[in-house]
Amino acid sequence: MENRIVAENMAQLFKRAAEQYGDLPAFATRKKELEWEPVSFRDLYNRGINLATGLIEMGIEANEHVGLFGDNRFEWILTDCGIQLSGAADVPRGRDITDTELVYIINHAEIKVAFAETEILAERIFKLRKKLPTLRTIILHDESGSVNKDFIHISEVEERGKQLRNEGDRRVEQRMDAIKPDDLFTLIYTSGTTGKPKGVMLSHANIISQMKVIPIELSCTDRVLSILPVWHIFERVFEVYTIASGVCTYYSSIRTLGDDLKNVEPTFMGSAPRLWESLHQRILKKVRESHPMRQLLFHTAYFLSKQYKSSLYFLFDKKLKTERQSMLKRIFLLPLHALRWVVVTPFYGFFNVAVLEPVRMSAGGSLKATVSGGGALPTEIDRFFNFIGIPVLEGYGMTETSPVIAVRTEDELVIGTVGPVVADTDVRIVDLETGDTLFPDENYPDNGRGLRGEIHVKGPQVMQGYYKEKELTENTIRNGWLRTGDLGMITFNNCLKILGRSKSTIVLLSGENLEPEPIEMRLTHSRLIEHCMVVGQDKKHIGALIVPDLDGLREFGIEVKTLNDAAVNDQAKKLIQSEIKKVVSPANGFKRHELIQEFALLPENFKNGEELTSLYKMKRHIIQDKYADQIEAMFNHESTRVK
Amino acid sequence: MEFTTQLLYPIDQVLLAVMIFSIMFGMGASLTIDDFKTVMRYPRGILIGFLSQFGLMPFFAYGLAVFLNLPPAYAISIILIGCLPGGTTSNMFAYFARGSVALSIAMTTASTIMALIMMPILLELYTAEFTAALTSELQLAGTGAEFVIPTGNIITSLVLVLVPVAMGMFLRAKSQVWAKTAEDTAGFMGIIVIIYLIGTAFARHSGLMLQTPIEIYIAAVCVGLLGFLFGFWMSRLFRLSPIFQRAISLETGIQNGPIAFAIILLSFAEPVQSQMLWLAILYSTFIVITSSFITLYYRRVGKFDYEIYKNTTIHNRLFGDEYVSHYPDGFLPKRIEHDPSQGFTPGQVREKKQAL
Repeated sequence: MENRIVAENMAQLFKRAAEQYGDLPAFATRKKELEWEPVSFRDLYNRGINLATGLIEMGIEANEHVGLFGDNRFEWILTDCGIQLSGAADVPRGRDITDTELVYIINHAEIKVAFAETEILAERIFKLRKKLPTLRTIILHDESGSVNKDFIHISEVEERGKQLRNEGDRRVEQRMDAIKPDDLFTLIYTSGTTGKPKGVMLSHANIISQMKVIPIELSCTDRVLSILPVWHIFERVFEVYTIASGVCTYYSSIRTLGDDLKNVEPTFMGSAPRLWESLHQRILKKVRESHPMRQLLFHTAYFLSKQYKSSLYFLFDKKLKTERQSMLKRIFLLPLHALRWVVVTPFYGFFNVAVLEPVRMSAGGSLKATVSGGGALPTEIDRFFNFIGIPVLEGYGMTETSPVIAVRTEDELVIGTVGPVVADTDVRIVDLETGDTLFPDENYPDNGRGLRGEIHVKGPQVMQGYYKEKELTENTIRNGWLRTGDLGMITFNNCLKILGRSKSTIVLLSGENLEPEPIEMRLTHSRLIEHCMVVGQDKKHIGALIVPDLDGLREFGIEVKTLNDAAVNDQAKKLIQSEIKKVVSPANGFKRHELIQEFALLPENFKNGEELTSLYKMKRHIIQDKYADQIEAMFNHESTRVK
Repeated sequence: MEFTTQLLYPIDQVLLAVMIFSIMFGMGASLTIDDFKTVMRYPRGILIGFLSQFGLMPFFAYGLAVFLNLPPAYAISIILIGCLPGGTTSNMFAYFARGSVALSIAMTTASTIMALIMMPILLELYTAEFTAALTSELQLAGTGAEFVIPTGNIITSLVLVLVPVAMGMFLRAKSQVWAKTAEDTAGFMGIIVIIYLIGTAFARHSGLMLQTPIEIYIAAVCVGLLGFLFGFWMSRLFRLSPIFQRAISLETGIQNGPIAFAIILLSFAEPVQSQMLWLAILYSTFIVITSSFITLYYRRVGKFDYEIYKNTTIHNRLFGDEYVSHYPDGFLPKRIEHDPSQGFTPGQVREKKQAL
């Protein structure tokens, strides 16, 4: 049932959703395991109007930037609604924002009014006030605790707005009517994996364009579990999309995810690769711990599913095709695959029902599809979930494109790619050195498919630019084409394949180039390794910084309490050494210069917000700076060598 | 069609016994005391299920026997199949057909116990004319024996079959982990044995499939199909919710095959035993295929109402019993506007009363 709302701006979207979906729950917050608090679309809109009126009364102008610092909770979305209805734009960041970032962002965006989720955060901002000349008011989300008189509470603003509405105040309607498509709806400062924060200006037209092109169908009967930070564009677009589709979003957290999957039984979920990795590990662990009979059943089922799906992908031309394939070969293989498909289907049918369904139950059992974004999903994990029957639709995008550029759909599910480019959007592949367009170009065979280069995007989702960074904007967007800084190619079945970050390329002393991501992905897939980063710019060979997985080490009988212990444990070193040698080997398709020659075990884990972005992407420059000594030592042969 | 050799060799009979034992043990391992309590929660569903299982099914089986003019031994076999209680297979199919698994399990539980009383009565009622025909056949052949339905033996075999079920339930009460393993292992073993038996039966009696008259096939296929069809319409007539309709339909059509094997082996002798077994094997083979297709069909047509049911249930699970889900006007089709599955919680009941 196609019923998503496409309004002309965010304010209208909230209004139309309230009219169309009324009493249905829009957002639900967890109080206890089986006690959640729903808020309906109508209540959200009505409270949003009150808040907006209160904000206007406080002097918020149209198009003003309002700070919104906090994580997923109902008040966040209420604030967003209030800000949109008042014609302003929000500047969102999570609670883990650092003081330096706070000062930079508040001053750069000239924020006068800021919302803070907790009292601790509000106090942090208050203490910085001498450095924040523009900031006038801090509004607090959290009800609990003593409210300092330096801040006001969101309910006070709402209350004041309600009073004014009752007295006939209709300024909100005027503001809503005045919103133009190119007005900003948000200004997102990207923490980025490189450099200082950049303010990405996204307009109402940008985000609304996404409502038209997202190729996933959701309706009032769906449930979405939200786990990623809402201020991040990847989660935010889903929030907006669920409002447009009448879907209820249930706020979960990493800690409660296992229970929430079981209780909410989500039909849809968006998440970062990290979550799929841990879910994958959990399922495998469960299988390993089960009765041998059940292990056998699982492996049989998985094997059959693999045969079944591989043939199916071949028959429907959904196999990853990075090179031109001869028609003759296809015609020859076609009957063989058809035969295998016919033979395997009844057995697959049985095992799918009897064995794989209970496995799917560990993810709630109702998932129709999931989207993975915010980083590359390791192929093994990708295959695993697709083979056990949870379609993972990997997508590709960035904050600058609000965010979707390409996403797989259930009909176009080519593992190893991020699917076809979404509607209304053009992608071209550009040679990094010469700047020539490789795809689409008729002068190349197959219009340039299969050639690798930098991905450039043009479409209604491309941002307005970086706030107050004219030069940077001009460097990034030329003639409407946005340079993504990612390497990719268009496959022969018209899907986009991402090949790494053009900027993370490591150039060895010998001049050989290599992409660290595929090696890292392979390594982190090991049970022994939690994180790793490949380094070696301008060195003779590459090395790896490794955060070992303590549980994994313990499984191999190495009793270590902390990462500090592990870093000096010779047994652990030996074990990981052999694991690296086994995993990153020519047998697994790695070239000679991609083999890891040195490694160091790090004494601490990477932390979210420090070494990792909120989507668990590594901030390479930060890690490189922090462990500069270890890296130097490593290449000076003081640490372990992989022989 | 006569069987010149025994359909099953002694080794097969042992295997069959092992299969029956493990399947029934697995069935027990999947049941809990709570399942018996669920029976009380769905009195209407159970009653209608009971009517279609012990009312419609035996009647259709009898009707098929008469209409197709089946030889007496086959006629008795098909009626026996019609009178069987439901098995655990139907619970799995109900799950995938987006039907109510709770009702399916409750019906399996209730019918297995009721079978102790109902099966002898129903067999007595429907098989009378066929036993008479068998007797006269036997007398023509000059054996001078009289054929009677061995009611006592049937009850004994039913009780015997219930012993592993009770053992399974005991295991479940002791250890849930072991019960789960036993359930899976039993299911897996059951499948391997049944594939082996069917395989060898076809291999040894290669001509058997071709010799078997078409009526026998029709009977074996149709008894299940009629059960699905009328189980569905009957529950629809009584305005049960779609998820109950699908559960009752599948529960009616899918019978507990292993019990049929046990009864035939323990209670009937040659020359009828092989013929009866052959029909039971055919039924067990075809029912897997037909119910797979029916399940796929139900799964498709039931997608929408099941999603609504699921969503409403989860709303109540998370937001409390007082919460009532209001879908936009025109979102719910007429068919499920007054869905009984949505009138259970206090909030829903109150709202319904206010609307009236």
